[in-house]
Amino acid sequence: MVTLGTLSQGAALVFTLASMVLLLVGLMRNDLRWIRAGKRGLVAVAAFATLASIALAWLFLSDSFQVEYVASYSDRALPVFYKLTAFWAGQKGSLLFWAWVLAGFSALVVYNNRREPDSKVTAYVYLVLAGTLAFFLFLLTVVTNPFEVLGFTPPDGQGLNPMLQNPGMVFHPPTLFLGYIGFTVPFAYAVAAMVTGTTDAAWIRKTRAWNVLSWIFLTVGIILGGQWAYVELGWGGYWAWDPVENASFIPWLTSTAFIHTAIIQERRGIMRVWNMVLILLTFVLCIFGTYLVRSGVLQSVHDFGATGLGGYFLVFLGITLLGGLYLIAESYDEFRTPGTLESYLSRESTFLFNNVILLALAFATLFGTVFPLISEAVVGNKVTVGQPFFNQVNTPLFLVLLGITGVCPLIGWRKASPANLRKNFLRPAVGALVVGAVLVAAGIRQPYAWLAFTLAAFVAGTIVQEFVVAVAARSRLTGEASWNAALRLLWRLRRRYGGHLVHLGLVLIVVGIAGSSAYKLETQATLSRGESVEIGRYRLEYENFRIYDKFNRTVYAATLGVFAGDDRLGALDAERRYYINAKNPTTEVALRTTLREDLYVTMPGLARNGDITVKVAVNPLLVWIWIGGGLMVVGGVLAVIPARRKGRAS
Amino acid sequence: MKAGRAFLLAAVVAAAVGAGAPAWALTETEVSESLICYACPGEPLSIDRCSCGDQMRAVIRRMLAEGKDKDEILAYFTAQFGEEILTIPPKRGFNLVAYAGPFVGLAFGAVVAVLVVRRWSAAGARGGSKETDRAELPVDDAVRRRIERELSNLDAEE
Repeated sequence: MVTLGTLSQGAALVFTLASMVLLLVGLMRNDLRWIRAGKRGLVAVAAFATLASIALAWLFLSDSFQVEYVASYSDRALPVFYKLTAFWAGQKGSLLFWAWVLAGFSALVVYNNRREPDSKVTAYVYLVLAGTLAFFLFLLTVVTNPFEVLGFTPPDGQGLNPMLQNPGMVFHPPTLFLGYIGFTVPFAYAVAAMVTGTTDAAWIRKTRAWNVLSWIFLTVGIILGGQWAYVELGWGGYWAWDPVENASFIPWLTSTAFIHTAIIQERRGIMRVWNMVLILLTFVLCIFGTYLVRSGVLQSVHDFGATGLGGYFLVFLGITLLGGLYLIAESYDEFRTPGTLESYLSRESTFLFNNVILLALAFATLFGTVFPLISEAVVGNKVTVGQPFFNQVNTPLFLVLLGITGVCPLIGWRKASPANLRKNFLRPAVGALVVGAVLVAAGIRQPYAWLAFTLAAFVAGTIVQEFVVAVAARSRLTGEASWNAALRLLWRLRRRYGGHLVHLGLVLIVVGIAGSSAYKLETQATLSRGESVEIGRYRLEYENFRIYDKFNRTVYAATLGVFAGDDRLGALDAERRYYINAKNPTTEVALRTTLREDLYVTMPGLARNGDITVKVAVNPLLVWIWIGGGLMVVGGVLAVIPARRKGRAS
Repeated sequence: MKAGRAFLLAAVVAAAVGAGAPAWALTETEVSESLICYACPGEPLSIDRCSCGDQMRAVIRRMLAEGKDKDEILAYFTAQFGEEILTIPPKRGFNLVAYAGPFVGLAFGAVVAVLVVRRWSAAGARGGSKETDRAELPVDDAVRRRIERELSNLDAEE
């Protein structure tokens, strides 16, 4: 299997390089036969990358500890499921996963274009895909080979980091990768459009599904990462503004901006150059994030350390960025369209301002992330820029973005009339003010939290109002029952209402963040059996203690009865787990989730006499972050389902 | 007008109950978010779980129990370990660039966006047709139904 993996990986690189040569010759000679051969080469690359991936997975499943990568991230006691997912636990496997998915996506692009005649445009698309593939396959084959064997076979592996033995962590990295990698396809189409001077929105339409799906994967990856941090790390939070987290969030922001302005190019044919800049930025930032993670230039809780790959990524990044900027500058006149707006008050202009805020957020996050490097270079002092800084700088920007989210989708194209503004925004604005007043009366006085809840009410109001009015109109026109009209409307105008659901998801996330950060309660206590600790409306009583073995770990579990007044609501098991092959125990969170709040318990201390130290927190509204994230994904999926093709002559 | 009355009511209620926010107890997490574990470079104390971090957290809890506020606790740790122990750069000297940079970027972006919108609006005014508020035009039911149908088709094709 080691030989099969090594050979397959090498063959994938050879075929990628061959494809590039064939495509280049085809383009220079203007000969489609060469281009077709290059295209088929990409399909072969996908086959070889798949073989290499199967080989690595097999080596994990068969405990082949003679392979350095397998010995580093697996052991005999590891459950089979985690053995398989240890594939992407380290750098080498992650890179192979990246190359495999990109090869698969490239083959999918070839398949999607099967009914279209080959052209210069598709040839350049394949060339960019092949060039990116070549970079990753070069790293795998020459620099950091996952099939590298040790000079001996150790009796057991070092095992998988216990914190990675969590379902959230299993899916968090691959979904993020799928997002990062997916943006290669629209980037390739953008480059092809620039080189060939295709000035219409064809490439935007062609890559819409890729854009939205990549954005969905990035969203899922970020949400799963937050959820994993919350339930696994035991510090009670879900987002720490760590450089690695920021590395995924920044391209998410630029891709969100791109998805919005792509709509304008589709509908109005303007902002062509800007869209090129945004997709270039998104792709470059995906690579830059990987550079930050792999170079070790910044300290991160994710602890990837210096991996020696930073220089390679920096070179690839430089080539991509400079090449992209050169192409944009070169084709600027060709792409420049005399934009016309009929009014400041139009959807086009609000989309533009939404872009400004999204990019300001991306810039602020990037700037804060790399500021330690800047300060070290300028004043010789590597300051730390952590969570409080990002909260301070980004929170006002987020609130402006939230406000714009309510305005953008409902303001009229071209020119919003006073009637349009009155019809769409008066009731939600008044409703939001009433909500704001009620919140003040209820004691919600923390300024940011109050503003976040009030703006959330405004945005939710605009969405609900628009949907209710549309359902009523459809019901009136067709005679359908309201629920039937609502479902049909959702399905029929799925792109529109998918977008609204995404916005509604954002609203719920904001509610969850505001509630859980502004009104969190927290306490810590050391308890003997029978003693209790109180927090908010809860009382937790230490009832029982157990020690047992499960899979590859020994578990020390303290059972705490949860009471509200005299009512017993249930019991929570706070655990400390001692994994085989792990140096330190891990703390397992005990969680009681309701729509109102989370009761969050960890056991950081355990005494020989059976006393336990528990840290207890009440996180109001936190579950709405995950519900909102789910809604965003559902909305994105709904929006990306293609419309049925039908005759339009009628 | 109902909406106007609701607005007034909201404003009155807000004004009546607006004063005097309740004080929320300072928690260990709020303080530890601003500190880095001295033994784990780059790792915020709120996330760190090592024994050295435990020592720092114990000090924070003791100082909170003594009634110290956040600034006093941070000043204590800064005196012990220097400003590198903070997760937020003090607002002075070159660090001000970190605070101002994002907002300078935002201001630049906003100015560019305003200029673009102004230019495009001017172009629209020169080349566009005379604007009429179409919402005010009389439309009979048949035309309204047709418009709704066509808009639905248009959206479905988006």
